[in-house]
Amino acid sequence: MKWSQFFDTSIGKKILVGATGFFLCSFVLVHLAGNVQLLYNDGGKAFNSYAAFMGHNSLIQFIAWGLKIVILLHAIIALQLTFSNRKARPVKYAINPGNQTSSWFSRQMAVMGSILLIFIIIHLADFWWKFHFGNVPTINYDATGEPVKDLYSTVQYAFKEGWLVALYVIGMIGLSFHLVHGFKSAFQTFGLNHVKYNGLINFIGVWLFGILIPIGFAAIPVVIFFK
Amino acid sequence: MGLTLKVWRQKNTKAQGGFETYQVKDISSEMSFLEMFDVLNERLINEGKEPIAFDHDCREGICGMCSMHINGRAHGPWAGTTTCQLHMRAFKDGDTITVEPWRAEAFPVLKDLTVDRGAFDRIIESGGFISVNTGNAVDANAIPIPKDKADAAFAAAACIGCGACVAACKNSSAMLFVSAKVSQLAQLPQGEPERATRALNMVAQMDKEGFGSCTNTGACEAECPKEISLTNIARLNREFIRAGFTYEK
Repeated sequence: MKWSQFFDTSIGKKILVGATGFFLCSFVLVHLAGNVQLLYNDGGKAFNSYAAFMGHNSLIQFIAWGLKIVILLHAIIALQLTFSNRKARPVKYAINPGNQTSSWFSRQMAVMGSILLIFIIIHLADFWWKFHFGNVPTINYDATGEPVKDLYSTVQYAFKEGWLVALYVIGMIGLSFHLVHGFKSAFQTFGLNHVKYNGLINFIGVWLFGILIPIGFAAIPVVIFFK
Repeated sequence: MGLTLKVWRQKNTKAQGGFETYQVKDISSEMSFLEMFDVLNERLINEGKEPIAFDHDCREGICGMCSMHINGRAHGPWAGTTTCQLHMRAFKDGDTITVEPWRAEAFPVLKDLTVDRGAFDRIIESGGFISVNTGNAVDANAIPIPKDKADAAFAAAACIGCGACVAACKNSSAMLFVSAKVSQLAQLPQGEPERATRALNMVAQMDKEGFGSCTNTGACEAECPKEISLTNIARLNREFIRAGFTYEK
């Protein structure tokens, strides 16, 4: 079987979705670690110099563009699979078993993923586009140093809008529900289903990726809103 | 007991189907679900009406022919049970029971509750076999096989190919079936010669038949009358990845 045929099979496509999913899981960890600096009470010094570093380091920029391609790949292949899965049952059942045979989270992957995709587009337009191509005021923390773009104040200002905060919280609920099933599901797709590891994989998927990380992300706009 | 049955009636594959409602009376709680259908069909025949077509053969839970989707559940509400082994004590007097055929693009309805599961046969033909020498049967214990491997292969071999996994899956995926067949053979030395081609060909045939892909919801495992485990799907994925990455053709 050629590579082109291999990645055209249902399992081959799922491997691509799983692999890109793992990369995106590692990204949310790094992204949250950076964003926590938005909550520092230092007038944005730590966050702005971090943002300047991320924006100028060529290796980081290479990964950042790769990340956007990975998000698109993950979404396109997953949607392709979703549509062919729908086609596999042209006549629907009159009565469905609901939660009797499978978890609600596991059946909503496409819905939650779509919410996330819309959220990511809005999020990128809001901050990434503004930071790179828009007008962001600069600030100089060090009399002898280079002035840096004040993304910190832009974010603080943006999250005074209640509807934007609500949108971010909805986006993170989408992330939570997506990863509760998605993290462990990717392991199954890669063939890793073993009594000695399943407990740990499930624990990390639910508690770290499903609960802690989304709460961490959602807390940032909420805290800024009420500050 | 008396029951209201809403049964899917469809003349043939191309015809538009629909539900028809039947009242059945004096059903014993000790009857099997299929015997209850026998009672109803006897009556329909006596009334000069077309009896309801449904698949059945051994009626002891091992042939894999019966295939009813009962109140939203493949093989009805009992776990690890085929429709023929489902007894009417699972229901209460006055219940309304909705009965549908397996619904999947790859399982076209032939008539009423009967579907064509030929897609499964074609998947087996594509790789669900081993090569053996002709001549005298070899001694049963000539090849040493670890007990845990033999048990796992045997548990996978319990699959009766009824199609409940496809019926229960929201994607109509046949992964549990294919994984059971691959797991049965891939774990044993006898299955080694075709190990790579089996995984590749059976998955390719599965896709060709129009089954959906697996999203790991676990509905198949929950509904399987032979309680085939999801670990088999992980094994199929491993076998497929191993073959895809290393097999030279």
